[in-house]
Amino acid sequence: MFRRLTTAAVAVTFTVGLAACGGSSDTSAGSSPSTSGGGATSASAGGTIAVITVDPSNPYWKAEVDTAKSEAAKLGYKTTVDAHNNDADKQNQFIDGAISKKVKAIILDPAGADESVGAVQKATTAGIPVFLVNAEIAKQGIAKSQIVSNNAQGATLGAEEWAKSVGEKGQYVELFGNPTDNNAQVRSDGYAEVLSQYPDLKRVQKETANWDRAEGKAKMEIMLSAHPNIVGVVAGNDEMALGAIQALKDANKLKQVKVLGFDGNQDAVNAVKSGEMVATVLQPIVEGTKAAVKQADSYLRTGKTGASTEKQAIDCVLITKANAGSLTNFVLTQ
Amino acid sequence: MTDTLQTQAPQPEAPPEAPKRKLNLNALLVEGRALVALVIIIAIFASLSPNFLQPENLILMTRHVAMNAILAIGMLMVILNGGIDLSVGSTVGLSGVVAGYLLQGYDMPLTQLVAYPAVWVVVVISLLVGMLVGLINGVLVSRLNVAPFIATLGMLYVARGIALLITNGETFTKLQGEPALGNTGFLSALAGAPLGIPMPVWLMVVFAIVFSVVLNRSAFGRWLYATGGNERAAELSGVPIKKVQTRVYIISGFCAAMVGLLLTADLPAATPRAGEFYELNAIAAVVIGGAALSGGRGTIRGTLIGAFVIGFLVDGLVLVGVSVFWQQVIKGAVIILAVAVDQLQQTLQKRRSVKRVQVQPRKPQATPAG
Repeated sequence: MFRRLTTAAVAVTFTVGLAACGGSSDTSAGSSPSTSGGGATSASAGGTIAVITVDPSNPYWKAEVDTAKSEAAKLGYKTTVDAHNNDADKQNQFIDGAISKKVKAIILDPAGADESVGAVQKATTAGIPVFLVNAEIAKQGIAKSQIVSNNAQGATLGAEEWAKSVGEKGQYVELFGNPTDNNAQVRSDGYAEVLSQYPDLKRVQKETANWDRAEGKAKMEIMLSAHPNIVGVVAGNDEMALGAIQALKDANKLKQVKVLGFDGNQDAVNAVKSGEMVATVLQPIVEGTKAAVKQADSYLRTGKTGASTEKQAIDCVLITKANAGSLTNFVLTQ
Repeated sequence: MTDTLQTQAPQPEAPPEAPKRKLNLNALLVEGRALVALVIIIAIFASLSPNFLQPENLILMTRHVAMNAILAIGMLMVILNGGIDLSVGSTVGLSGVVAGYLLQGYDMPLTQLVAYPAVWVVVVISLLVGMLVGLINGVLVSRLNVAPFIATLGMLYVARGIALLITNGETFTKLQGEPALGNTGFLSALAGAPLGIPMPVWLMVVFAIVFSVVLNRSAFGRWLYATGGNERAAELSGVPIKKVQTRVYIISGFCAAMVGLLLTADLPAATPRAGEFYELNAIAAVVIGGAALSGGRGTIRGTLIGAFVIGFLVDGLVLVGVSVFWQQVIKGAVIILAVAVDQLQQTLQKRRSVKRVQVQPRKPQATPAG
């Protein structure tokens, strides 16, 4: 009897733990009255905005979440936060949750351009406007805004700077992001587009490190064994680049191998400052998320986002030693 | 009368082959197969890439292997008991994060002070955290009769969640410590390479020797094999099965915490997602090494070989430049093959022993003379 009771209690605890650790946390970001500067305040100001992101344990997405929460709070909304980790099924569940909670709007960083079309459609049909941040979906006319950083432009910026640093010749390797994330391919294509223009630059290997620092280090170590004479490594994001840097430090090859990152996270910025990383590319995630929340607010109050098109690409900024000092937490102060 | 009885006494049959010898042969074959696989893998990759057998590359691959091998040793303990521990990956992350948190310095409650514990304190606390996770697993399985799969699956989520809560999603990177604070030495101790051998490899050897002795020379080891082989019989023979069961999960948690510390020092960074999916590689190493998932069969030696097989295979595929997706397919195929061949071996061996019994029928009794 006791055993059955305790097993039941344990089962309940685990279920709660499971639910909690799906990455969701409810935060009410203050219910201060909406402060739209002058002008009529419509009845739809206030309420809850669902923020659905990828993985807040990555500083990039953490910045996305923090910005969304603070911007929403400024405009008078509560927020809920969920993380789908690029799993389209989980994303669906969170969209369903948002619909049943009758949120006013959804700020979504989608899990795959094709897979997410259905989820966004579902929410839109249920009367909840969806505003996409950081990544896009494969169809227009459903989400109210798609605000992405111009990954392709950012990749070309980074690749050009990096090519200069290796003297435009030599063998290099590439660390590829999570293959289920569109941005991995977009950035890789961006690098390839630029670097294929240099006939003396040759990519000798490409491995995936799933956006992860530890995997980046492990893969880099082996690639160094396979190709001891490389002049550089281009990585799809900063975490993988930082792993590669540590591998190079361990092998005493940091001086001759130039590293390129992408994202603009604080550790990478410090590495650029100290010369360990050649450059990284700042994704205007803070700017983009602020814009998404503002457009959501504008849409809820006036029925229009205020932007001229659904798809908006904000340009990335190249971060080198020259301007690394003015970058903190994904915000460039000039 | 006595004469007749004597002539009617059935001839003593030749004793069957000593079972102990057969078991050793079988164990040797099972482990031998993993060893053969390892030799084949080394041969293939050495021929495909001139860099495979370079000393630096071998040391590097062995370091990767060691991280998994330490986990696999703990996993072997649990699997010998007939259980499974899915939470080791999360424990790796959790203990790493605890170490990182303590090294950053934490705010002492009710004071304005920030505490910087000494490195040995940090290490001990992280190991204790791992053992605590193991204790919870052990209690759930042994006292509350929760199936090991479920209990450790739940702890997988709980431990990962706690790691995320501790870091609030961030990564701790200030691990060097400062001399003035007295907390230096974490990185140099755990990520160092005395005599050119990386610390994880040293620890792998130490853990292997220690747990080999435990399994083969101690009462606990005998109890463990007994509970895995036939729990009911063990219990009736007086083996403290609940204690054994709890202890194996604590051991597994301890091993996971050790790997967490090594991984944190290696990067060097304490990330809350560290160790994700590590449990799968640990299980793979254990089964390739010939352990039975049902319990009661397996050795440290086999597990080490299994870890080398998986590790060298994965790194070899990267070294040679096989496409990422094929890497996954090949890795999975090798694991399935290892277990399937093992099962086949078990079935064939059972059939052979059944035949042996049938081949020795009892001699017919002579009818007593009137």
